[in-house]
Amino acid sequence: MSKAGERRSLLCPRCDRPIEVSKLTKSTLCSGCHRTMRTEDETVSDYQARAEYFNEARVEVAKKGVIISEVRVRSLVVKGEVKGPIRAREEVRIHKTGKVYGNVVARSIAVEEGAVLVGRVEVGPLRKVEPAPAPAAPAHPAARSSHAQAV
Amino acid sequence: MPSIPGSTSETVLGADATFKGELSYEGAMRIEGKFDGKISSKGKLIVGKSAHVTGEVAVAHAGVEGQFKGNVVASERVELTASAQLTGDIRSPRLVVAEGATLVGNVIISPDALKGEPRGASEREQILAASGAPAGRR
Repeated sequence: MSKAGERRSLLCPRCDRPIEVSKLTKSTLCSGCHRTMRTEDETVSDYQARAEYFNEARVEVAKKGVIISEVRVRSLVVKGEVKGPIRAREEVRIHKTGKVYGNVVARSIAVEEGAVLVGRVEVGPLRKVEPAPAPAAPAHPAARSSHAQAV
Repeated sequence: MPSIPGSTSETVLGADATFKGELSYEGAMRIEGKFDGKISSKGKLIVGKSAHVTGEVAVAHAGVEGQFKGNVVASERVELTASAQLTGDIRSPRLVVAEGATLVGNVIISPDALKGEPRGASEREQILAASGAPAGRR
């Protein structure tokens, strides 16, 4: 059997809809909320300040990595710094060099000696996700009218 | 995760015992029954699998295998085994949570978590605000 034939099941980080994709898929479109989701394991080794950091895969924040954002991932390893609420379907692991400032919701958590964690923690069976806010509508009236024509 | 090993000379509150009030001891203590109140010690506390503990705890080492509702301040570490259910706030330099454990509460884990005055919810908010965490999602 070819590698491309292998499938894996995911849940959309925004709407929790189950999606089946190939093991090689790096990103896909959710059929529920019609928004893109990344599904590739990732290592963050730089400074990233975003509105949201969603990736339905394993994310590692390296020693020099900083994420300032709402984070929703499958599992998270923090060796650097994360500022913002975290939701992980599996484990959140904070290494001895890691710092987390924000609320954490996860199935399990491991905090190494020397790590910093400040926030509300909910560890155990995950509750249903609250839907992420929809993207803001274009403010310019012309943009709105051209959109209407296109539709 | 295996159960937390206790000291050989530990005080035990048995499974059929109920205690209300303030408790202080030296060394180690294992609670298997019901406890409601305050515990303060420089030793170790183990909340056993059959235990139901409610109240405030200030010890060096806290190990939880059963149900605990309240706040924990541990000068060394807090350990939650897979069967643990803890609802409350934790302040300690170290935290170990086994897979399967339930933990709901505000947590301050840091090498200097116990320095200064006890931190309330408002101070935690200030820390989060200073850290730059996105507003409105705290």
